[in-house]
Amino acid sequence: MKRPVTLTINGERQEVAVEPWWTLLDVLREELGLTGAKKGCDRGDCGACTVLLDGKPVTSCMVLAVQADGRQVVTVEGLAAPGHLHPVQRAFVDYGAVQCGFCTPGMIMAAVALLNETPHPTEAEVRAALTGNLCRCTGYAKIVQAVMAAAQHGGAA
Amino acid sequence: MSAHLGPTPLRVVGQRVPKVDGVDKATGVAQYTVDVRRPRMLYARLLRSPHAHARIRHMDVSRAQALRGVRAILTYRDVPPVVHAGQPQPRAGSLARDQRILEDRVRFVGDGVAAVAADHPDILEEALALIQVDYEVLPAVFDPFEAMQPAAPSLHGTDRNLVIPPFIVRHGDVEQGFAEADYIFEGRYETSRPMPAYMEPDACVCEFDPSGRLTVWISTQAPFMVRGSLSEVLGIPMSKIRVICEHMGGGFGAKQDLYQYPYLCVLLAQRTGRPVKMEYTREETFVAGRSRHPVVIELRQGVTRDGRLTARQARFVANSGAYASHGPGITRVGTNALASLYKCPHVYIEGLCVYTNAPIAGAFRGYGAPQAYFALESQMDEIAAQLGLDPIELRMRNMFQPGDRGPAGTPFREVMLPACLQRGAELIGWAEKRQRPADPGPIKRGVGVACQLHSATSYPAVKEAAGAVVSINEDGTVQLLIGAADLGTGAKTVMAQIAAETLGVGLDAIRVVSGDTDVTPYDIGAYASRTTFIAGGAVQRAAEDAKRQLLDLAAQELHAEPADLHVTDGVVASRSDPGRRIAVKDLVASPGGRSARTIVGRGTFAPRNDYSFAAQFAEVAVDTETGQVEVLQMVAVHDVGRVINPTTAEGQVEGALHQGIGYALMEDLVVDGVSGKALNANFADYKMLTALDMPKIYVELLESVDDLGPFGAKGLAEDGVCPTAAAIANAIYHATGARVRQLPIAPDRLLELIP
Amino acid sequence: MHRFDYLEPATLSEAVALLAQHGARARVLAGGTDLLTALKEGWERPDWVLSIGRVADLRYIRYDSRDGLRIGALATVREVETSPLVRKHYPVLAEAAGTLASVQIRNLATLAGNVCRASPSGDTLPALLVLDAEARLVGPSGERRVPLARFFVGPGRTVMEPTELLAELVLPPPRPGTGAHYIKHSLRRAMDLAVVGVAALVALDGETCVDARIALGAVAPTPIRALAAEEQLVGRPITPDAAEAAADLAQAAARPITDVRGTAPYRRRMVHVLTRRCILRAAELAQSQGRLP
Ligand SMILES: Cc1cc2nc3c(=O)[nH]c(=O)nc-3n(C[C@H](O)[C@H](O)[C@H](O)COP(=O)(O)OP(=O)(O)OC[C@H]3O[C@@H](n4cnc5c(N)ncnc54)[C@H](O)[C@@H]3O)c2cc1C
Ligand code: FES
Ligand code: FES
Repeated sequence: MKRPVTLTINGERQEVAVEPWWTLLDVLREELGLTGAKKGCDRGDCGACTVLLDGKPVTSCMVLAVQADGRQVVTVEGLAAPGHLHPVQRAFVDYGAVQCGFCTPGMIMAAVALLNETPHPTEAEVRAALTGNLCRCTGYAKIVQAVMAAAQHGGAA
Repeated sequence: MSAHLGPTPLRVVGQRVPKVDGVDKATGVAQYTVDVRRPRMLYARLLRSPHAHARIRHMDVSRAQALRGVRAILTYRDVPPVVHAGQPQPRAGSLARDQRILEDRVRFVGDGVAAVAADHPDILEEALALIQVDYEVLPAVFDPFEAMQPAAPSLHGTDRNLVIPPFIVRHGDVEQGFAEADYIFEGRYETSRPMPAYMEPDACVCEFDPSGRLTVWISTQAPFMVRGSLSEVLGIPMSKIRVICEHMGGGFGAKQDLYQYPYLCVLLAQRTGRPVKMEYTREETFVAGRSRHPVVIELRQGVTRDGRLTARQARFVANSGAYASHGPGITRVGTNALASLYKCPHVYIEGLCVYTNAPIAGAFRGYGAPQAYFALESQMDEIAAQLGLDPIELRMRNMFQPGDRGPAGTPFREVMLPACLQRGAELIGWAEKRQRPADPGPIKRGVGVACQLHSATSYPAVKEAAGAVVSINEDGTVQLLIGAADLGTGAKTVMAQIAAETLGVGLDAIRVVSGDTDVTPYDIGAYASRTTFIAGGAVQRAAEDAKRQLLDLAAQELHAEPADLHVTDGVVASRSDPGRRIAVKDLVASPGGRSARTIVGRGTFAPRNDYSFAAQFAEVAVDTETGQVEVLQMVAVHDVGRVINPTTAEGQVEGALHQGIGYALMEDLVVDGVSGKALNANFADYKMLTALDMPKIYVELLESVDDLGPFGAKGLAEDGVCPTAAAIANAIYHATGARVRQLPIAPDRLLELIP
Repeated sequence: MHRFDYLEPATLSEAVALLAQHGARARVLAGGTDLLTALKEGWERPDWVLSIGRVADLRYIRYDSRDGLRIGALATVREVETSPLVRKHYPVLAEAAGTLASVQIRNLATLAGNVCRASPSGDTLPALLVLDAEARLVGPSGERRVPLARFFVGPGRTVMEPTELLAELVLPPPRPGTGAHYIKHSLRRAMDLAVVGVAALVALDGETCVDARIALGAVAPTPIRALAAEEQLVGRPITPDAAEAAADLAQAAARPITDVRGTAPYRRRMVHVLTRRCILRAAELAQSQGRLP
């Protein structure tokens, strides 16, 4: 039976009725129309579904929506103010870190989480923080470059 | 064709401009097929066979049908019995019509046997479980050599289970060549079954409008191929089918043939009168996707004492899996690649493509060449070692010259391999590292090299063409319509750059529209390494056509000669009298109130092929106690003609290296030799390199001047993956003395080989 | 995904009562990273999923020098990895925790869940074994403490009753002069399951080894201690030869299987190589520990 849960998504409180077995990812995508987070595997292996839950990056395909009740969720849609890109988004675009773009929302959320915790990471720290995000297009080279650049320009902003 | 390398410096071409759709993708706004939602949409899934080979005696769908929320179920009795090809525009010139939408026979574990549409995805699993299928299990065969035996079960009733008759490349007389040799080298090379593993799973949404027009949103590299296939197989006129793919999450070749699911999705939409969405699970992308062909290559070469190749004989045996897909084309390209790369007077290569009850192999970046070059370049390294020659020196002694015939049969316009080798050797410190004394301790380092040459198109097997349309808006901005889909490679950006450069307008004035068969001109599909080369050529021609019209108009308005006019930053001006000028927007829609003029430029481009070259160098560290290989760095030097956008071009090579290193070391879909089941059909056990596993990469793009493609651009997308595995295998040999002839180079197998 | 009903108790006693009521028809959900996989794959088909995520006061990591370390059932692997207390007093546990999956998964996964899942390859288990961890279990008839050395019964199987919960993990205070190390052997450098995992702990008095513990992962139905190898080390200096001899004994203790991640012979061989390396590294760490003020 569906039960109501309250999520604060990108700063906005939303109530939504969910089945207990629905994942946070499915609720974001199917019920709330927030299709930024992607489903690449639905098993926690690829990171395309990464969102921030109470400020921490998690794979939203491995969280039940009922587990997220009452908590804060930030998705890629909530990073940029209208007309302004988050520094990490800006760097991804400028440094060519986006190819097909399917890993990009999750990758950006993981990078944002890293810079929130570690504003000036080493390259090794960047790579370690992104191991949960598979990318098939870029070989990660320009992604790592973009995160390093965003850090230099105050990416935690 | 004007080479554009003249006095006017290029403004947009050659620049690192950001992707035109980068912001949409980085903000999560870009809509992929999996993001498409339609009102009243149903969800559908396939029931897949647990058996590798079976006949269906009987199916009972009544219990599933009775489940609440189930709207339609299709079995082989409900679909048109049309026999068709997976890939209607064959790169091999031969069409293998071997598949049906559904039939009473399954040929691999994962073959679809029924499709269900329901109100919600939650119901699908249960519905599928309620379908009863009575299988008569048939003997199955997974090894191509066994499949060619007379007693083997036959998949499609062909001779020896061959997909196409043997493909033979022959020149000279190999017997004579071996007689002239001082040494003969022989090896059997076995390659693995890596998956393209694009991040966006296969998906489509099909919807009929009340007047019977069908719209298909689908993650495809070839929207027009989808339209053509659906039309042919389902009997719907092309004018009633619209195929849309605006953004796609990768394809790497595999999303350019059709089997089962899009046809079924259309039929379900037809039957229910509602939009239907079908989205693969990750597991389905493995079991029902397309792998690279596992190939066995038996290679024998004769060589003189001073390192000249005298003869090359080989057999290229590709495991096509249960259906042909791109098997014919891959066999042709792989066999041609084996016959090429270095000059050899006497060559006899036989290419075989064999049906087995394994999952379907198909097109995947490199298209038969990575397998061929793994064998060829490993053996070149072995020859160099035996003869005591530097591997680069051996290659130089057997280098092609301009005018020699390349693998596709057309002559080389130039041969850039020596330059690639030389530059790569400098970058990696080859001379010094080859001399370095062996490392003490269990970790040993080594360097290795391998080369490739590749044709950007499928010419002459397929005479490809692309079209483009440029139309100028009333305010002087530009709509650029291209048929090619953008797989994520940056094709749209590159096309916009070519148009902006040619038209003399800013990049931000160009809006690229692609991937919609109702709107854009025809394009055969984004495959091979063709988009920049061919579609770019079409864009350049369309922009030139539009510009010619602009200049003619401007010549009238300014009372000038068209030849005296040029367009810069959206303004047409006279060279001899710079004061005479008019803005493009005023030409199109004059302020005087006359209605806007129609300026539409059209271009098509159907070139021959052109070759691109690369040398890749690997430095590895091998743990000789565990067999683990760490790639320390890769140096990739690629000749790509003119680089239109260095960022996207480097990105292509970097991404290809990810797949190439994975191919060398870990990627392999393991199919059980008894049951035919895939044992690692998920991202936990099918290993792709993470950000921590990727080494430092140095990509250098050599610009050769070649005027065939747009501004001299050649293909690049496939090249990066072709030599990587051999470069790594050769570096491992240098480090340890272990000669690996099987992919992937798994630690346990390597440990057995380390002397 | 398997469909189920969902329970969310607010206290430990409520959780225990609900578990007693539903017994084998319920599954406990902590971080969910294992359970959700099992539910999605249909390996587990419980009627009830009982989330302990909102049970008060289970999310803590506490240390004092007399009782050692206590890790509540809801402490995440990431919290263990980054905890200053763990990093200071039990660095090998932080090290092992950091090898598990990705940051995203570590933010969800609990340490207790890794223990309860009882996978032979569970990455924190060899480290917990060499640290002599104990599980505090609560059930309908009260609580009990079980050393992890007696906790695992088989792949996915433990001594816990279906009505019991793991409330916390308790680690005794470290003795001075110890060094410990975990080696995870996997194909990838991250996001991978261990083909073989080896943890070694060495305590030195001067040059002499006075205590040694070695635990092996992914080479038997449960993570195991290599007791004979440990005995071999005690009472003498840790030399390459001593490590080699202990590695022989560890290898003999391993009973690996062949699966898609590795063959049995390869795993056996790796136990040898990695145990030797792990012991020597632990001894190095013990020595540098001894030199600290
Ligand atoms: C993508 C991915 C990668 C992974 N990689 C690794 C890896 O590298 N190494 C590794 O070791 N593991 C790995 N895992 C497995 C998993 O993350 C760990 O085992 C994790 O620690 C489990 O914790 P959890 O809180 O998520 O457990 P849950 O899934 O919530 O529970 C696991 C099991 O333990 C039971 N349980 C949990 N807590 C309690 C309790 N307090 N009392 C009683 N029973 C309880 C549950 O009923 C369930 O049976 C991976 C998982 C995923 C999805
Ligand atoms: S979709 Fe969640 S990790 Fe892949
Ligand atoms: S950009 Fe395509 S998967 Fe990362």
